Amino acid sequence: MTNSVEVPAAGGASASGPARKGWNPTLFLVFPTVGLLAAFLVFPYLNMVVMSFRNPSTSQVFAPGFTLGNYLDALLDTDLYYLEILLDTMVLGAATTAICLVLGFPVAYHLARTSSRFKSVLYAFVLSPLLVGVVVRCYGWIIILGNNDGLINTTLMDLGIIESPLALMYNTFGVSVGLVHIFLPFMILPLLGAIQSIDPALEEAAQSLGASRFRTMLRVVFPLSLPGVQAGTVLVFVLTISSYVIPILLGGFSVMIMPTLVVQQLMDAMLWPFGAALAFILSIAGALVVYVYFRLTSRAIRGIA
Amino acid sequence: MTDEAPREAHGTAPAGGGRLRRRAGRVGYLGIVVLVYVYLLTPLVIVVLASVNAGEFLTFPPEGFSLRWYVSFFESEAFMGSLFFSLRLAFFATIVSTALGVAVALYVVRFAGRWRERLRLFILLPLLLPEILTAIALLFFYYNAEAFFRAMGFDLGSGVFRNSVLGLLIGHVLITLPFVFLGISASLYNFDRSLEEAARSLGASRLTTFRRVTLPIIKPGIIAGALLAFIISFDLFNISLLLKGIGIATLPIQLFDYVRWEFDPTAAAVATVSIVITVIAILITEKLVGLRSLRF
Repeated sequence: MTNSVEVPAAGGASASGPARKGWNPTLFLVFPTVGLLAAFLVFPYLNMVVMSFRNPSTSQVFAPGFTLGNYLDALLDTDLYYLEILLDTMVLGAATTAICLVLGFPVAYHLARTSSRFKSVLYAFVLSPLLVGVVVRCYGWIIILGNNDGLINTTLMDLGIIESPLALMYNTFGVSVGLVHIFLPFMILPLLGAIQSIDPALEEAAQSLGASRFRTMLRVVFPLSLPGVQAGTVLVFVLTISSYVIPILLGGFSVMIMPTLVVQQLMDAMLWPFGAALAFILSIAGALVVYVYFRLTSRAIRGIA
Repeated sequence: MTDEAPREAHGTAPAGGGRLRRRAGRVGYLGIVVLVYVYLLTPLVIVVLASVNAGEFLTFPPEGFSLRWYVSFFESEAFMGSLFFSLRLAFFATIVSTALGVAVALYVVRFAGRWRERLRLFILLPLLLPEILTAIALLFFYYNAEAFFRAMGFDLGSGVFRNSVLGLLIGHVLITLPFVFLGISASLYNFDRSLEEAARSLGASRLTTFRRVTLPIIKPGIIAGALLAFIISFDLFNISLLLKGIGIATLPIQLFDYVRWEFDPTAAAVATVSIVITVIAILITEKLVGLRSLRF
């Protein structure tokens, strides 16, 4: 390649050598994006760390000077108010993840193994909730679950099955229904990938050796799809503990979890430093849970492989 | 189900009770699968039904067909304004993130060398970080940046970022960029470089080669990525919530404010229109490049 002299990077991978010496025109390709991410993602996150150590103020969003007080107020609160909300958030995250796994696994297995000609339609069904806005999907649940005029309650009352409406919304039940619905595709897609990569001959071997279908599922398919399980569960857990719209629309303020609390502190109380500290406490707690989970499950995966 | 036919055929027939149990297990398994699909689709179907239902509340059986909630939607200035604002915002966010995505994907796949993996991860960062945290970080950052510029003596007017389309657009570009990047880099990895070399050796300039050879081949990836970016920006909520300026609301925000306090099915009409817009975008993707090229 003679022209690699005029444009050093033209040679592809081999160009990383000469690229270090002079100005490399291909860097024009990458600078805008890296610049944008540095200025409007990395820098803002660093700025948020700083914000969480700012002094609170009653007249402005923050006052000059720095303090550890925001973290201490949240962690050492005598009523354990904030820590309890943090725990509730983690429990909700774990429960949502578990339900998604139980519901998602059969669907992923079916989609991976089916030879139905409607396979791509089913695939689109799995994707469909992902592509419709979260507010729209929650609104659908509001119509169905509504405590007074919801579809379920009015129907059951018209049929005379119940006398007074059931509390289906503005509680943990309603929030869970919405969360599982919205995050299920994030569980199914990684599981689908993992199950598709398992050789069906292994299942046939297990069954011809006398294992029942259920036992084959439990002892062959599930262990081999653990990498997908790991990816899906972490994804759903992280998405759940940081979700705001679903809890607020289906739970109101009666289901208080960390994201709702943080946004309330920021937008209503205008306590920016405290809100930032709460957001970091949530992030660190979430990261710890994911880390421990990752260590434990990775050991299990290695044990099988 | 057709997928069962071959296995059933060569399976040795177990004892009668076992077969019955297997049949029951099979029915239970398929039952769960069907129920999950019903669960996934019900809210969407219900929204559409509620939007054409004559009554204030969706009841079973429905009260009759009516388009009055659509009329009320089209007559609502707030909803129509936010619909067009959302479409414009999604359009510009798509243009910007597609342009950035094509360039940076080319760099990462072709020229990044030993930096490739680190750079890939860096570009996917907005996808890996919780959207609500990114939204909060941007809100703080815009406030501080405005204060900084004021302190430096440049008064850009209050809320140059926070209360303007610019700040919102940057947020939408951040979130949509990784999706575009994933689509385009996937098609670049599957790319036969000898086609470009052939064009070059036949005398085509670098630009001509890109325009006439590279671009047509990676076009499906670009289209899939861009349409996905459009859908995601159109439905984006958290960023828009925290960065909404005075008087600017995207459609999801307007809908959110509405359904929190009002329960009439105008919201269902709005939601249905937003579903239809998404479906159109998906059908275009399917028609042009096939749904399979949407990679997550």
